[in-house]
Amino acid sequence: MPKSLQTVYVVDDDPDVLTAIERLLQSAGLNVAAFSSPHQFLESYDRNAPGCLVLDLALPGLNGLEVQRVLEQQASELPIVFLTGRGDIAASVQAMKHGAADFLTKPIDDAALIAAIQAALARDRVLRPARLERERIAKCLAMLTGRERQVFDLVVAGRLNRQIAAELGTTEKTIKFHRGNLMRKMGVRVVADLVKLAERAAVGSTPGT
Amino acid sequence: MSWVQVAWVMMIAASLMLGVVHLFVWQKQRSQYANLLFFVLAVSAAAYGAYELARMQAETPADLAANARWSHVPLAVFVISVVGFVRLYFDAGRLWLAYTVIGVRLAALALNFLTGVNVNFREITALDHLQFWGGAVVAGPVGIPNPWAIVPQLGNLLLVVFIVDASISLWRRGGAVARRRAALVGGSLALCIVTAASVAALVVTGVVHAPTVLMPGFFIVVLAMGYELVWDLTAAAQLAAQLRASEERFRAVVEAAPSAILLVDDRGMIALANAQAETLFGYPREELIAKPVETLIPEHLRARHAEQRSAYARDARARAMGAGGELFARRKDGGRTPVEVALSPMPTERGMFVLASVVDITERRRVERMTTRQRDELAHLSRVAMLGELSGSLAHELNQPLTAILSNAQAAQRFLAQSPPRVDKLAEILTDIVKCDHRAGAVIQRLRSLLRKEDAQRHPLDPNEVVEDSLRLMRSDLLYRHVTVSTDLAEALPAVSGDRNQLQQVLLNLVINACDAMDGQEADRRLLVRTSATVHGNVEVCVADRGAGIPEANLEHMFEPFVTTKATGMGLGLAICKSIVEAHGGRLWATNNADCGATLHCELPAKRS
Repeated sequence: MPKSLQTVYVVDDDPDVLTAIERLLQSAGLNVAAFSSPHQFLESYDRNAPGCLVLDLALPGLNGLEVQRVLEQQASELPIVFLTGRGDIAASVQAMKHGAADFLTKPIDDAALIAAIQAALARDRVLRPARLERERIAKCLAMLTGRERQVFDLVVAGRLNRQIAAELGTTEKTIKFHRGNLMRKMGVRVVADLVKLAERAAVGSTPGT
Repeated sequence: MSWVQVAWVMMIAASLMLGVVHLFVWQKQRSQYANLLFFVLAVSAAAYGAYELARMQAETPADLAANARWSHVPLAVFVISVVGFVRLYFDAGRLWLAYTVIGVRLAALALNFLTGVNVNFREITALDHLQFWGGAVVAGPVGIPNPWAIVPQLGNLLLVVFIVDASISLWRRGGAVARRRAALVGGSLALCIVTAASVAALVVTGVVHAPTVLMPGFFIVVLAMGYELVWDLTAAAQLAAQLRASEERFRAVVEAAPSAILLVDDRGMIALANAQAETLFGYPREELIAKPVETLIPEHLRARHAEQRSAYARDARARAMGAGGELFARRKDGGRTPVEVALSPMPTERGMFVLASVVDITERRRVERMTTRQRDELAHLSRVAMLGELSGSLAHELNQPLTAILSNAQAAQRFLAQSPPRVDKLAEILTDIVKCDHRAGAVIQRLRSLLRKEDAQRHPLDPNEVVEDSLRLMRSDLLYRHVTVSTDLAEALPAVSGDRNQLQQVLLNLVINACDAMDGQEADRRLLVRTSATVHGNVEVCVADRGAGIPEANLEHMFEPFVTTKATGMGLGLAICKSIVEAHGGRLWATNNADCGATLHCELPAKRS
């Protein structure tokens, strides 16, 4: 994906710092969207657009860690580069545990910041297609009927039609019918693809999740 | 010389003597008309006595007649002065009766000269030689009674009625002195007049063959009255002695008083000064007495003082001066002593005196200054400790502009490194760098002023500005501690007079305490800082938290030193805050909120414009 389409979101409540960072990132040729409050950012960011987030840890109202949690809940995997005024170990550990891309202490050296952002964008480039794929699979899975889903789970678990029919208390012919339908809904032709897809979406191995 | 002559001469002399004594008394006390009347009365008695003595030695009826006629003049004077004396001295007696007595007596005097040889005899035909006790022989009149003799007798009767009536009034008024006076003076007067008049009447009508002598009776009256007047004199003397004693007591009290005392008369002259005044002002006493009190007042205040003194005289009541600490006494050596003065008016017959009690407050001032310095030092120490606690927040406040400067500068470098270099952004970048540098400078300035050890200074301060400044310093700390601060700042608050650093310290302390109070709780970490004008025109700053509140028992004690609920900390913060607020003339107290948490209130007096 070309660089220019990626957006670097910057959230810092201090207008001086926000402007300075925005400028610095522009000077590095990055596409920047600056926000002075986390709420503004959460309202206007496009979770489907590629990019990363440069987030100040100490924000009024909703602090950096809380913003991270909100994004997590929204199943956004926007990589986050945290900025903090004080080297706060507890907060940085927590941020990293929740998948922060980096944790930088102000004042930030341009090289370090830009490197961290580049890394985060790279990570986004990698993770984003996988997430999109996962989401596509999830969407397909959502189209399955309950019976089809049961059959799906058993197929990816490696059962034969006969075994599945016995387990679900029905005939092999019916199972074949469901299987045909769900293969079509999931957009695969062979069972091997179905299993790969289930692995990618991390579903099926533990039924019910 | 017969004993009669001797006795009469002695009575005349004694009467004159008594009279003259009271003339002298009257001369010293012009308001004492009783003494003057007594003098007139005694002299008229003596004059009558002299006539009577001459009459008793008359050799021809014509001599006797002339003598008797002229003797009515002192007699009339005697009667009139008796009336006047009784009226004046008893302060009783009917006025119309008094005038009637005087009128009748004057009428008798007129008749005395117009009818017969005198008012008693139409004609004196012969001399009668009458025997007195002890063989003395005196002359008496023989003749035809004057029918007008009834007039003086009527006058005598009215006189007796007047005296008895006045005496009864006086007696009824009560009191030992009044009763004695009524009995002695009134009684003797009435008795003598009744006796003399009856004897005279009997002699004149020829019923009794005896000499008509009035002088002994008059003399008794003079003695009784003189005795009474002497009572008054001794009473006055006793009073004077008491007065002297009380004046001496007053002087002793003034002398023993622990403060310098000056008695100042209505012209502003010092009338009395005690030993402490000598010490305080450095003048010996004799140099103070009769000096204007302004001598003891610093030059630049003198003119105003004279005005103030007359203003005080118009509305004289006890009051204290110099509580505000602006009063100084001027010593003989020209130096000044800080003093407090209490004034109390002392009305005297010589005008309104003022008793000024002057206390040297040099030592008190010194102790006050020392206390202030110690409080300021303690406040400074606790401020430094508190800033230590806030160091994270303060570092953050510095870090923000530094971050912005660095990023701006590096952005500029990058813009310049591009080919072609982009210079269009440079202007605004440099502007921002300068702005951020100023911002960092201001933080350092504020910090330095809080850390600096200097005497507290009073400036007019906007309470809202103090609140906002303090919250700005703590901003990062509040964020870090997940405390949300809201402010409710009243508009158009009056300024307070105070030391910016110390008041900021108080506020920072209250906010830190409020945050500490909510440390344990997960949610609802809210803080409200409110400023308002009180009904008394003062300013109140409140810091309300949503913590657990303060146990009732601690509401009072929490401001005492070394009382703390925190695991760390000396428990000095609030004690120092309280002493700072009180040094600003305000007060600091705590209440629990109705729902939850506590509110710390700080009331500061508005600066008088």
